Amino acid sequence: MNNNHSSNNGLNKISGYPFITIYIIHKLITTLKNNTLLYRFIFTIPVFTISLLSVNIKAYADTLYVGTSTVDITPELPVALDGQMHLRIAREVGTPLEANIAVLESRHKNKLIETTVFVSCDLVVIPSEMLYQVKYEVHKLLPGFNTDKIVMNAIHTHTAPVVRANVYPIPEKDVTQIEDYYSFFAKKIGRAIKQAWDSRKPGNVTWGLSQAKVGYNRRAVYADNSAKMYGKTNIPEFRGIEGYEDQNVNSLFFWDKQGELIAVGIAVACPAQEVEERYEINADYWHPVRLSLRKRFNSRLCVLGWIGAAGDQSPHLMYGKAGEERMRNLRHLSRLDEIARRIVFAVEDTYEVVKTDRHNDIQLIHETKDMSLPMRLITKTEYKASQKEIKKLEAQINADPKAKDRLFRKLNSFEGDVIRRYEQQKIQLAPMYNAKIHVIRIGDIVICTNPFELFTDYSIAIQARSKAVQTFVVQLAGPGTYLPTEKAVKGGHYSAIAQSNLVGPEGGQLLVDQTVELINKLWNVSYNQKVN
Amino acid sequence: MKNLKILIAILIFPSLFVVTNSCKDKKVKKNTTTVVANNSGNLSVGWAQVDITPDKPVLISGQFHARVSEGVMDPVTATVLALESGNGESSEKIFLISCDLVSISDGTRDNAKDNLRSTIREKISRKIPEVSPEKIIINATHTHTAPYCHTASSAKELYGVDLDVMSPAECIQFVSDKISEAAEQAWKNRTLGGISYGLGHAVVGHNRLQVDFSEKSVMYGNTNRKDFSHIEGYEDHSVNLLYTWDNQNNLTGVLINVACPSQVTEGLYQISADFWHDTRVEIRKRLGENIFILPQCSAAGDQSPHIMIGEKAEARMQKMMFPDLKDVGDRTLGLRKDIAVRIADAVTSVLPYMENSINRNPTLKHKLEVVELSRRLIGPEDVIQGNKEAEKWEEEYIQLLKEIQKTPALKEQPKWYTQITIAHTKMRRGKSVKDRYELEKVQSKMPIEVHMLRIGDIVMATNPFEYYLDYGVRIKARSPATQTFLVQLTGSGSYVPTTRSIEGGAYGAVPASTLIGPEGGQELVEKTLEMINDIMEQ
Repeated sequence: MNNNHSSNNGLNKISGYPFITIYIIHKLITTLKNNTLLYRFIFTIPVFTISLLSVNIKAYADTLYVGTSTVDITPELPVALDGQMHLRIAREVGTPLEANIAVLESRHKNKLIETTVFVSCDLVVIPSEMLYQVKYEVHKLLPGFNTDKIVMNAIHTHTAPVVRANVYPIPEKDVTQIEDYYSFFAKKIGRAIKQAWDSRKPGNVTWGLSQAKVGYNRRAVYADNSAKMYGKTNIPEFRGIEGYEDQNVNSLFFWDKQGELIAVGIAVACPAQEVEERYEINADYWHPVRLSLRKRFNSRLCVLGWIGAAGDQSPHLMYGKAGEERMRNLRHLSRLDEIARRIVFAVEDTYEVVKTDRHNDIQLIHETKDMSLPMRLITKTEYKASQKEIKKLEAQINADPKAKDRLFRKLNSFEGDVIRRYEQQKIQLAPMYNAKIHVIRIGDIVICTNPFELFTDYSIAIQARSKAVQTFVVQLAGPGTYLPTEKAVKGGHYSAIAQSNLVGPEGGQLLVDQTVELINKLWNVSYNQKVN
Repeated sequence: MKNLKILIAILIFPSLFVVTNSCKDKKVKKNTTTVVANNSGNLSVGWAQVDITPDKPVLISGQFHARVSEGVMDPVTATVLALESGNGESSEKIFLISCDLVSISDGTRDNAKDNLRSTIREKISRKIPEVSPEKIIINATHTHTAPYCHTASSAKELYGVDLDVMSPAECIQFVSDKISEAAEQAWKNRTLGGISYGLGHAVVGHNRLQVDFSEKSVMYGNTNRKDFSHIEGYEDHSVNLLYTWDNQNNLTGVLINVACPSQVTEGLYQISADFWHDTRVEIRKRLGENIFILPQCSAAGDQSPHIMIGEKAEARMQKMMFPDLKDVGDRTLGLRKDIAVRIADAVTSVLPYMENSINRNPTLKHKLEVVELSRRLIGPEDVIQGNKEAEKWEEEYIQLLKEIQKTPALKEQPKWYTQITIAHTKMRRGKSVKDRYELEKVQSKMPIEVHMLRIGDIVMATNPFEYYLDYGVRIKARSPATQTFLVQLTGSGSYVPTTRSIEGGAYGAVPASTLIGPEGGQELVEKTLEMINDIMEQ
C-alpha cells in the first residue's frame, strides 16, 4: 500500500466552496431552528437542485480501498426517546446504540477516483442539522474531505434519543438535551469517520440476495375502502392488507486482503421498531443481528443496517399471531431474536453462495442530487379539522397539565404543522420540499437513498426499472416523514394523512422517476470506460 | 487385567463408531434420550406415493393452446396420506391426496358424473369399503405440465382438431387407477403414529398482477416500464407444515402448504411436476429418501412463482447456487431449484422443534358441506362481448381448419396445432359466457364442496377454486385455530377475484375467467369461518 495516499486525506479535487456553503447553511439552520415555519420555508426553496459537487472522473478504477469503524452513540441517561406520540424518558440501557461506518475509496494508479462514506445510525431519523454538524466535525478532522459523500441513515429505532426539535416537551433539567446529544453525536461520528478513513486498505467486495420474512405491511383495509395502520384484521369488515411487502434481504460484503470479512451492508425493508414502546435505550433487532454476525465472522465486524423503503411496513404481526408466537416459544426466542434469526439466516445463506465471487477492480461511482419535490397541500377542510382538534387538545392540557407529555406532539407537531403549512401556502402557492438523494454504484449493484419513510411500492418501482443487478433502496437517509402512495391517501389514516406527510404521491412518483434516471445514467457507456 | 481392558476397548470403540455413523446416515433419527416412544396413541398414519405419468403422449393442461407431451422431464405423482383416529367403524378416517395436476375435475363446469374426483373416490371406496367417498380430499398442485384429465373422449372435443394422444377421459381412468392403488397401499401401511405442526416462511409466491397509473391491471408483463405503478395485491409467505411420525419417533412424512401454484416452467411440452419435483428431491436429500411429501396450495389465485421484479439478481444467485445449470432466471430450472431450497429450508428449520411436540392423540374431526355460493352474474353486455369474441375466434378457427384440410402437410410441422387450438379455446370461452348467462337465470347459486378438517389445534379448509389470496388472509386472520391450512384447487378451479382486482380488469378477473365474484368469494370466507369455528369448538 502506498502510504502517500493516506496522508493526502483522500481528497477529491474539491475547493472550499462546498464546505463553506454547508457551513453557511448550518449557521442559518441553527439560527432558525426554533422558527419551524421559517425553517420549513427555507427548505422549500429549491436552492439545492444542483449537486454541490460532482466528481468528473466517471470510470472505474483498479483498486478498492475499504476502511471501517464502529462507535457507541448511547446517550447519557436519562434521555427522552424519539418515535412515539407521547414523551418517554429512558433511565436504562437495554442495548447500546451504535453507528457503523464504512468508507470506500477507489484508486487508479494511486490516484483517487471516488469516495463514499456509509454511516448507519441507531436513531429514529437523521435531521439535516445533525448531518451538518457531523460534516463540520469531519471537516475539522479531515480538512478538504468531500463531506458530500457521507451517506448517513437511521434504522428508525423508536428507543433512541430524541433528535427532532420541538416535537416533545422535554424537561429542561436532568435530562439530556437535544443540542447536547447533537454535539456528542457529531464529535463521535466525526472521529469514527476519520478512524475508518485512516484505516482504509485494499479490499474486496461482493453482493448477494436472499429473503427473510421481517416486514409486514401494517395498513389494513376495510369494506368501506378505509384503511388503518395496525387496524384489526380479525373482524368481518377486514378486506385485506393495503400494499405489498418486500422480503428481499440485499447484502453487500467487504473483505480485507487477508480474507477477513470486515463489513457487511444489509438492506431490510422493515424499520427496527419491534420494541418501540419501551422506556429504554435499545437498538431493536439490529443489536442481535450484529451480535450474531460478529460471533460468526469477526468480533469487530462493521454492520451497516439499512432500512429499505418501508413507510408502510413494521415488524409487528398483522394476523396469524397464534402460529407465529407458538413457534417463537418453541424456539425459546424473544421476538427481537426471532427477527434477527431470520435476517442472519438470509445473510449467511447469501454469504455461502457469493463468498468466492470477490471483486477489487470495480466501478465505484457516487452521485448526489438535490430534488425539489412538490409538497402535499393542505386543504381547507384539513385546516379546519386541525383547528378543531387543536382546541380540543388545548382544553385537555388546560384541564390536566400532566396531559402535555401525552398530547404535546399531537398538538404542536402533528396538528400544529397543518396550520403552519396552510398559512404558508397563502404566501407560497406551490411549496417545494428539498430532498437530497445519493446514488452509489458499486460494481453491478446500486445503492440509492431517500430521506423519507417511503412506502414500499415506490421502492418496488425503482427496483423494477433499475439497470443494476441489485438495487439497494435505503430510506431515512435524512429527516423522514412518511411518503404515501395514492391508494394509501385514498384509504386515509395515520401515515397517509396531511398531518403525516410533507410530500404526497405526486412527489413520490417524481422521486421514483428521478432516482431511476440517475441510477440508469450510471450504466451509460461513458461510465463504463476503464481508466488507462 | 491391563490386557483385558485393552481388549474391551478394542471391542467397544469400533462398535461406538459404527453406531455413531449409522446415526449420521439416518438424517432423521429418533432422539432416544429426550423423547420416549409412546405407543399409547390412537392415531394411525399411512403414506403412499404413486407415479401417475402416462407412458404415451397426452394433452398437457394449463394453457390456451393444446400441447402434446414430448417426453417426461420428471414424473408427475400423487401422494396419499391416510389418517385414522380410533378403531373400527366409529373411527374417523381421512384421506388427503395431493396430485401433480392442474386441477381436479369435479363436474362443476360440465356436470359430468365421471369426472376425476368422483372416479377416484369411487375406486377408492370400492377397494376400501369402510372409507366413505366424502372423506377423501383431493387437491391439485396446479402444475401446468401434467396430463389433461377430463371427461372428453378425444382431443378434438376439447381443441377442435385430432391429435394422436391418450384421450383426456383415458387419462382420468389411468390416473384414478393409480391413485386408488396408492390409497389402498397407504391404508394398508398405516401404523400407530403421531403428528406435529409448525410454521415456517419461504418467499415462493408472488402476486402476478401489476397495475399502471390508469389503475388497469395486467397479469405478468414488464414491470420495467415508466407507467408501472405497483403490484396489485398482497403475498403470503407462510409455510404451514404438518409432520408425521411413526411409533418409534421417526419422521415419516411432511405436508407442506404454500400460497403458490407450481408453475415455474409452465410452458413446457414435457411432463413435469414443476417445483414440487425439485422440492421433493431437495427434502429427501436432507431428510432421507423414504420421506413422503404432500404439497398443498393455499389461496393463491393471483399468485405465481414468476419473478416480477429483480430477475437479474435472482438469476445471478441461481447461477452461483447451481453452476451446472444452463438456464437460470424466471421460468427456468434455476428458479425451480431455488424455490426447492427455500421450501426445504422452511421444513428443516422448523423440524428440530417438532420432534419434541408430537401429538399421538390429536382431535381428528372432519366435516364436508356443500355450500351454495352466489355466482358472478353475467349481464347481457357480457354476453354480447362473449359472442363477439366467439364469432371472431370461430372465424379464425374455421379458416385455419380449412387451411389444414387443404394442405395436410402443414401437420408435418412441429406444433402445427398451436394457433388453431388457441382459436378453438377462445371460441369456446366466448360461447361459455352465453351458457353461463342462461344457467344463472335458473340457478343463481353454485354448489361447491367445502371440507373442514381439524387435527389437534390446526384446521384445514378447502375450496375448489383459484381463490385470490386476500380471501385467504381474511380467513386466516379470523380463524381461531393456531394454524389455518387453506387448500385450494380441491376441484375444477376458476378464479375468484377480489373487488380491487375486478376494478383492475386483468385476466383472472374478467367474467369469462370467473364463475364466482367478490360476493361469492366473501360468502365463502364467512362460511369457511363458520365451519372452522364450529369444528374448533367441538
